[in-house]
This record gives sequence, C-alpha cells and structure tokens, in this order.
Amino acid sequence: MVKLHEIDETAIFAWSNDALPLIATGTLSGVMDDTFSSDSSLSIYDPFAASATKQPAPVYTAAAPGKFASIDWSKPADGHARGVLACGLENSSIQLYDPAKILSQKPTNLVDTRIAEYTKHTTPVLQVKFNPLQSHILASSGSKGEIFIWDVKKGTSFNPGQAISPMSKVSSLAWNNNMAHIFGTAGDNGYTSIWDLKAKREVLQLNYSNTNLSVIRWHPSQSTKLVTASDSDSEPVILTWDLRNSSVPEKVLKGHKKGILSLDWCLSDPNLLLSSGKDDSTLLWNPIEGVQLATYPSLSNWVHETRFAPKIPEVFASASLAKKICIQSLQDTSEPISTKVQSKDENDFWNEISTTETQQPLFKVQQAPIWLKRPVSATFGYGGKLVISKKEEVKIVTVSNNGFIDKSAKEMIT
Amino acid sequence: MEDTLDLDPAPSDRIFAIENDQHRLVETLHGHEGPVWQVSWAHPKFGIILASCSYDGRVLVWKEENGVWSTITEHRVHSASVNSISWAPSEYGALLLCTSSDGRASVIEFLADGNTKHFVFEAHSIGANAGTWAPCIGDGKKMEDRRIVTGGCDNLVKIWKFNTEANNVILEDVLQGHTDWVRDVAWSPSNLGKSYVASASQDRTVLIWTKETSPDGSPSSQWKKTYLTKDKFPDVCWRASWSLSGNILAISGNDKVTLWKETLDGDWESAGEVDQ
Repeated sequence: MVKLHEIDETAIFAWSNDALPLIATGTLSGVMDDTFSSDSSLSIYDPFAASATKQPAPVYTAAAPGKFASIDWSKPADGHARGVLACGLENSSIQLYDPAKILSQKPTNLVDTRIAEYTKHTTPVLQVKFNPLQSHILASSGSKGEIFIWDVKKGTSFNPGQAISPMSKVSSLAWNNNMAHIFGTAGDNGYTSIWDLKAKREVLQLNYSNTNLSVIRWHPSQSTKLVTASDSDSEPVILTWDLRNSSVPEKVLKGHKKGILSLDWCLSDPNLLLSSGKDDSTLLWNPIEGVQLATYPSLSNWVHETRFAPKIPEVFASASLAKKICIQSLQDTSEPISTKVQSKDENDFWNEISTTETQQPLFKVQQAPIWLKRPVSATFGYGGKLVISKKEEVKIVTVSNNGFIDKSAKEMIT
Repeated sequence: MEDTLDLDPAPSDRIFAIENDQHRLVETLHGHEGPVWQVSWAHPKFGIILASCSYDGRVLVWKEENGVWSTITEHRVHSASVNSISWAPSEYGALLLCTSSDGRASVIEFLADGNTKHFVFEAHSIGANAGTWAPCIGDGKKMEDRRIVTGGCDNLVKIWKFNTEANNVILEDVLQGHTDWVRDVAWSPSNLGKSYVASASQDRTVLIWTKETSPDGSPSSQWKKTYLTKDKFPDVCWRASWSLSGNILAISGNDKVTLWKETLDGDWESAGEVDQ
C-alpha cells in the first residue's frame, strides 16, 4: 500500500491522538510556494475516513493570523475532549485552539474556537510542544534563546532557568518521555542542551566534533537516552546518546547525503527511528543496533518534518517543501514495478506506467515492529490438547472437560 | 503423523511429529523472507497441506507427497504483513482466509484441478489482525450461511457473510466495544442454537459476543456483548482459542494462559490457568 494519501500543501502538521487520527496543517513560515501568497491557513484532514480519497479535501479550513513554524496537538485534557491545538506563529504569538469546537461548529472565523493567545515571545515562535506526561504543560521556543514553559490550565508561564552559555535560535525542542521536568533543545549553537525544570537550569550540553547538533528526540521509554542529528550538509549524522556517558555518542548513523531536519523515535517500538532532511529523503533506522532499515521514495524537495501517527505507528507522514505532505505506511511488500507494468506494446507501457505508483521504498533489512510480535499464543487442538508457544518454547498441556489441567504436561524446548 | 504442531517466530517452519507424547523434528520448511506469524494444517481429506503466513506479506501453502515437501501456492495479494490465516470448515472445500496489515482480508479457494482463485476485501482501516470462520451450518451447501469474523486496528470486530453473485463477502454486522486494537477473534465451534465469538484486545479486555440462532439456522437476533471479566486483564490479551467442543476458552496474556467457561446463568468463570 505504502503511499496512502497526499495533501498538497507546504505546511507543518500534527497528528491527533485518535485511534484513526486526524491531521492538522498550518501554512509553513519562511517559504514561498508557487502561489507567492502571504496568506496562511489552518486545516484539518480526516485521511482515514471511509470517504477519504487519495488526495483528501480538508474537513475544515480557515484563515490563520500568521504563518506557522510549529504545531502540536495535545492528548484529551480537562474540558477539551479532543485535546488542544497549539500553534507557534511567525508573528511571535502562540495560538491555542479547541479542535472539538472546530470540528463540531466549523466556524468561518478560527478565532471563535481560540482558547488563548500568548504574546510573550519577542521573536518568531519556532517550536511548541506539549509535555507527554502532563498534557496541560506546553514548552515554546524562539530566537535569541527565548524558551517559555506554559501552564495552559492557568495561562501562566515561566522561564526554564539559567543557560550554561548564551543561546541563539532554538529550533528543536523535545520533552523527555518519562521525566516530566526534563527537556532538550537544539538549534544553531552547535550543541544540544538538556534542561531540568526542578533544578531551574540547563544541566548538560552535548557536543560532537564541531558538528551542529540541531535536532533532538528522546528514547520512548529510557529517560537517559536520546538521539540528535545535524543539519550540516558536510556531516549529516544521527547520533544516539546515553546521558550517563555524555562525552561520546553510542552510535553514529550515516546515510543522509545532506543536512537532517527532522527525527521521530517511534513511541511504540524503540527499534524504529525515522529521519528526513535536505537530501529530500526519509530513512528508517534501528537506532539501537545502529543500522539503516529502509529508504522511502524521495519527495523532490527538503523534507522538513516526519512523524509517526501516535496511535497507529504503522503509518507516518512526511512534509516536504515540494508542496506535499505524504502519508504512507512503514512496510511495503507489494510487487516490484516490473511486474506491475506488464504491457507488451510500447504505447501501452507508457500509458500504464504514468498511472502506476512506480516509486517504492527500498528495504535493506526486514525488521518486524514490536506491535506485530505476539509474545505468547495458546491454541486448542484435538483431544483437549492446548498448545502454548512462547518465545522459543512450545508446551502441550491437556485440558479435561472440567478445565483441570494435567500436571504431567510435557514440555518441549525447540 | 498423529498430531503435529508448529509456531515459530523465525523465517522457517519447523514440523514436529508427536506420538505418545514423544516428539521429533521431521522437517524444516524454508521460503519466507520475514518472521512467520502463523501456520495452519488443512483438513486431512485434502492431503497433507500446511499454510503459513509471514511479515513478508506472503502466504505459502505447502504439500507433502511421498515424504517430500513443496510449495504449491504462493499468495502475494497483500502489500504488508499477513497476520493470520484460517482454514474454512472442510465442508466448504479448501478455503483459506488471510488477514493483513494492509487493511485487507482475502479468501483463497483451492480448486479440484489444482488451480486457485481468490477474492480480496477491505476489512479494517490500517490493519486486519485476525480472522476466522463460523462453524458450518447444515451440510455447508448454502453459500449465504457462510460467515467470517475479523478484528483489526480500528478497534472493531466485523461479521461478514458470503455473497455468491459477487463472489465476495458483504458486511453483516459491526461490533463496537473495544477501545484499542482487536488482537484476535475466535468463533466457537459449537453450534447449539447460539453463536459465540470471543474477541481479545490490546485494551486488556476480552468480549464474548453471543447471538441466538433461529431453528432454520439463520441468526435471528442482535449480537449481545459480555465482558469475560469485570476487571481488566493485567496485560494485552493476545489470543483467544475455543476448545473443539466449544465449552472452554483459552486466553493468552503476557505471563499467563487462562481458561474460562460459561456458568448456567450466562456469566463466565475461571476454569484454571497454565503457569509458564
């Protein structure tokens, strides 16, 4: 199946936390598309609705007060059954909207669904990120080292504390997935910073041979592990770290040909990491083993953001400056192109190939995701025999009619 | 070969022969390019036939003749992991139901002349995790009596009914109740006036769906759901399996396999557990 849907926008996006997620998009700041328009809009798509086509129309779209650098969709919270949409805008404001209201009322003016507007930043807002453990806490960052932590319930904000050295553009920000008071930032300073809100200061800096570490993501379940990447075209590396030994990276992943702009570590399986960047490509890695698993079809311009759908990690979306957000599946076992286009006649061949999906991902290593691996399985056979397989062990027990299990069960180690 | 089994997360199938509680490895079958998720024997009247499905998106059907195993069919209609396979009641002929992470399910029919035909249907958005057959009603000749149950990543359990004219299935019922992925579905083989379907889910619950059957065999009422347990299971419920008499249900969780049976007043009580 691979490419599931395409959205024709140059935009930043966020997945909702629904079982079949929606996707919110906001017109990307800092770029001009072929329309040379300075208008900005916020749209919501429902790509998995039964009626959705390959290129779905938005279920909602409205003019926004500015272009977007970042957008994030929180989990459901008190009073906001479908979460909160936070938008970091080029005009230095943060806008919070209520997606439940947007979807039920579909107002012409987006401002009717606004929960709050924060105007404390003095520079364009570059990142907005909800805390994964306390979804009413929002972090935002901008240029000149501006970082704020917001309590969306109270509408208050505070500064995360003292930096080790002066910061400039903070273009990447990520909350730790296990420690609610820890987050990391990166930008154009060269290093990645780790912050502790309890200590009220920057507690660590990560460096790697003068390479600018500009993107950060945390391990889904281990609080001391993280991954960083470099947007430098001369050394586009992905590095995995354990903060307990923060002087050297654990693994160095090489494969991108130009600078890396986005990383996403799968929350459901730590053995899966997506990266994308200025070489127009999106790659899949096993960051624990340090190996590249797959290369997805390139998107003919910089791929500035790639994210797994949180509730269906089989699916991810990549946004490219080629006016395209591509929603695709991790795996593709469909036939190679040569067997899809079989026309003997020359003209038929060209007609057929123009309507066939010819780009396919290349898999170097076939690695099944954790969520498909059944750890245990018990199946009844004839004669009241129950076969139990678990990891490398198969066991057969006999169940009599009253449910009593024969204690002399035979074990079989394979 | 009195009784054989295999379940193996490696890209090969191993077959054991079991006789008087002794077992020995008789064959290892190679052919898949990814982990094998499930293997299933066809009814012996069709020969010594084994089907296997894999993360590589393929279903392979193997046959043993004169001690030699060979692949008789390679089913490549799915574009992602094939997560389950299930043979139809043998009265229907050799029919195999497959469900895949590409969201679709397919039914392969093995014809008497050695050829196969198949149909594919959209089953569950984003992934069909499991599928199995309802027991045979009557002599199995009436196509519209044939039913299938599937479960998927859209948290739904779906009941499908055969449609002869379209050579496909039509959706008969959508059973809503789970709040996370449905990992397995099992239709009880007993057929005494009532259908029982068990669904095991990522949401750590098992639901028992029941429906009265009218005397002529056609289901006459709505599906009713009962939670197998009041409290949630300690972990994901991966698998549900009915005993062949249909009165005991085995549920596989991460640490334990638990057994359940119905009481006279329609509740479900523990019938023991298997420590691992």
